[in-house]
Amino acid sequence: MKRQETGSAAGRPRGHSVLASPSARIAVGILAVIAFLTIFGAMLAPQNPLAINAGQLFKGPSAQHLLGTDYLGRDVLSRLMAGTRLSVLTALEAVGIGLVLGTVPGIATVFLGRWFDFAANRVADALMTLPSIFFAVAVTAALGNGLVQAMVPVGILLAPGFFRVTRAATLEHARAQYVEAATLLGASKAHIIRVHVLRKVLPNIAVTTASMTAAALLAVSFLTFLGIGVQPPAPTWGGILSSDLAYLSQAPWAPFIPGLLIAVTVGALNALADAFRDRGSAGTLVLLEPVTEPEGVVDEQRSPAVA
Amino acid sequence: MSNDRQPLPEELLRLDDLHVSVHDGAATAVRGVSLSVRAGEIVGLVGESGSGKTLTCRAALGVLPAGCAVQGGTLSFAGRDLTALSRRGWERVHGSQMGAVFQDPASYLNPSITVGHQLAEVLRVKQGVPRRAARRRAAQLCAAVGLRDPERVLDQIPAELSGGMLQRVMIAIAISCEPRLLVADEPTTALDVTIQAEVLELIQRLRDERGLAVLFVSHDLAVVTQLCDRIAVFYAGEIVESGPTREIAERPRHPYTQALLRVASVGDFGRRELEVIPGQPPQVGADITGCRFAARCPVAEPACRAGEVEPVLVGDRHQARCVKAGRRVGELVSR
Amino acid sequence: MTAVEETAVEEQAAPLLEVESVDVVLGRGWRAAQVLSDVSLKVWPGQIIGLVGETGSGKTTLARTVVGLADPRHGRVLFNGVPISELRGRARRAERRQGHVQLIFQDPLRSLDPDLTVAEIVGEPLRIRGERDPARIRPRVLAALEQVGLDATAADRTPGQISGGQRQRVSIARALAAEPRLLICDEPVSALDASTRNHVLRLLDELRGSLGLPIVVISHDLSSLAGIADRIVVLYRGRIVEDGPVGQVFTAPRHPYTALLMASAPSVRHDRPFTLGQLRRAEGDPAPPEGPGACVFAARCPFAVAACAAQPPLQTIGDQWSVACHRHQEWAPLARAR
Repeated sequence: MKRQETGSAAGRPRGHSVLASPSARIAVGILAVIAFLTIFGAMLAPQNPLAINAGQLFKGPSAQHLLGTDYLGRDVLSRLMAGTRLSVLTALEAVGIGLVLGTVPGIATVFLGRWFDFAANRVADALMTLPSIFFAVAVTAALGNGLVQAMVPVGILLAPGFFRVTRAATLEHARAQYVEAATLLGASKAHIIRVHVLRKVLPNIAVTTASMTAAALLAVSFLTFLGIGVQPPAPTWGGILSSDLAYLSQAPWAPFIPGLLIAVTVGALNALADAFRDRGSAGTLVLLEPVTEPEGVVDEQRSPAVA
Repeated sequence: MSNDRQPLPEELLRLDDLHVSVHDGAATAVRGVSLSVRAGEIVGLVGESGSGKTLTCRAALGVLPAGCAVQGGTLSFAGRDLTALSRRGWERVHGSQMGAVFQDPASYLNPSITVGHQLAEVLRVKQGVPRRAARRRAAQLCAAVGLRDPERVLDQIPAELSGGMLQRVMIAIAISCEPRLLVADEPTTALDVTIQAEVLELIQRLRDERGLAVLFVSHDLAVVTQLCDRIAVFYAGEIVESGPTREIAERPRHPYTQALLRVASVGDFGRRELEVIPGQPPQVGADITGCRFAARCPVAEPACRAGEVEPVLVGDRHQARCVKAGRRVGELVSR
Repeated sequence: MTAVEETAVEEQAAPLLEVESVDVVLGRGWRAAQVLSDVSLKVWPGQIIGLVGETGSGKTTLARTVVGLADPRHGRVLFNGVPISELRGRARRAERRQGHVQLIFQDPLRSLDPDLTVAEIVGEPLRIRGERDPARIRPRVLAALEQVGLDATAADRTPGQISGGQRQRVSIARALAAEPRLLICDEPVSALDASTRNHVLRLLDELRGSLGLPIVVISHDLSSLAGIADRIVVLYRGRIVEDGPVGQVFTAPRHPYTALLMASAPSVRHDRPFTLGQLRRAEGDPAPPEGPGACVFAARCPFAVAACAAQPPLQTIGDQWSVACHRHQEWAPLARAR
């Protein structure tokens, strides 16, 4: 790793937009559709998602029911569109909880001393050992069966992931020499976090949020699949998948539809996370890799840190 | 102009009109570089970073970084043309004909294996020396490069040795297969000054005892003038002056060399005036008509920018790439 | 007034910075190493002090100790009579916000936040002091930039967009914006080319001249210090071995290590007072005294005798000149005879 004296102004690589790669663009497109459905899905559903139609059970795709009907004759497409809101919002709720519970201590722990750090790490370790579904079941048993209540434990269990990532990123940036320089100017920890650290860890948080949302969505689907937190007849993706599987013999094609929807959304979120990561962290030290000379003038190796 | 009373020693390394491009051919970073290193000679390449000296040295070793390539000119060693040599060809040259040491010895050694093992490995792989004999040769080499207590050093890992000792080990590795030329790219830049002095003395001793030729690259003019018999001054990808060190230090002919001598610390402790060269060197590979130093030269004239400036012979094996250098010789001759 | 006379006048005043018998240990437990031992130093206004040392000398640690990035195990650091090394927490932050002592780091690429513009970087000391109004910050930033020879166009660039020499100037501008009373520069020019080096050294010289700012320049390169320093302080393995006026020390060094540093510096000239052979231990030399209390340089010193089993104290031998060597008066003729 050599540094170079160049007379010219070598600009730092401007992070190209998140939308640089095709997979990122597709991912964003898919997520835009999902977001749209979250807001407007219920209104735009062609049929009433709750309308039971006893004469139309397990019908295949037709002009009236583009994705067919379910075991109660309800329009599958409408149920999926309407169910988007519940599924996505509760997943986001869980992620939100995890984000706040994880990133705030994650950043703070680097500045609050060894004992706090030790304690925070042990708490994170403990949370990571909890089996998520059982924990969710236990909490809903205590707090009552509702999807909102079920996402609280999921959120808590997502927090250690946020904590670890944020802490690692913050540690790396807090050790930077410009932070030392700011300390010498009398900066408070709050100033250092605000000015030097925060914007550099945001990319890491963004990556983690995207992949945690995928995890949360899966968790929602799984919980609603198990019947936890679901208040029938409200449609949710997992709930639809669950009932479809119950009637597999009558409609073998049926589970693929919600399953595909979940998979595609989760995949899009992960692709978005990849795109965030590839864009590069804004705060990584720029090595002015010299234009030609593969070797610089004098390294700071000349005076190792201890001397 | 010169009458050779004795034949010059054999020419080992020869670069003729070498051009090296970078960025996959987008820019030419080294232009028209010609130099030669004869047996037993220490030749120094000196210049600021970006001047092309390191690329030249890497080209001579056949280890140009990715995206860089020799675009013109020839490179030969002991009469044999190496310009288009294959990788296998270079493998045979490395170690047995040319050895190399670089700036940061620690990064060229495996941190978890003893240096003795690594030194012996070179002997075993390149010369097929059996294990025990390799160990003995390794100890001899360590002694030859001035390491006290070679047996102990052989059993240590790089982290246990200081920078100066590691560089000696690297030199030992470089000369282990008895090459005729040692290429040293900023070998002492990262060392303390007292250690640097010792390593420079070592290089001189190796030349005196073994007739080893050395190509020494550095940005430090003082080091190069102290160590080298001949120097080549690089600026913006070209050699602007080359010749015997004494002559260049006492009677530099190129304005850049003159400026460099004024600016660089040449070990003078009494001076208090700090000189500077105004301006900046041109961008690497920049397209400039005429002399590449003209923009910063205190005595530039229109002729300097008119066209390609060829090197002018100004003394015994002493050349300068300056339209005015020739005139001065003319004046001398007319006197 | 010559530098020597000026210093004499200043010396009657109290020193601005005083390092008092400082011991610094870095690392914990079995990895602990004593990096500085019994280091004492005084700095008066208007002086440029060259602090010279090689790897392991402790020069960077000394700089860090003065600014409080390392705490002495014994001894203290006083600024204007106030023991700043004993401050902690809020009091320390408040003292730092006053900006009295500023440190210029060695590598500006690491000490400048790559995501901030030059203006934001240079303005940071003001913002830390609570100044929020951009209209008040901007002119002071531009003034600091002008002092270091950078014009306003640099203000909106990021560190990655300017050259190494310019980055070092930005680093100095940031220090100046804090209105310092003392500047410490850790190898300010090591990473720069020869010409840029002199630009920056000249700048430091000007700052000393125009602001009367005392500057401590840490370097391993003696010759660049010769250009601007008034006083030279030589560190070896955590101890000061020589501290004196630059002209006199360079003409006739009183410590063999100082002479060794000078003789080792590569040079075109061949008129050195001593050759390397005269200053290095040779095969036949008697074994030097060893042991924890021995002179730090004894193991390398060709002139070590039995008395060197005790670390020599830093003793004054002339006007503003002190040296830590038992044989400081005798070794020179011995060297010449080698």
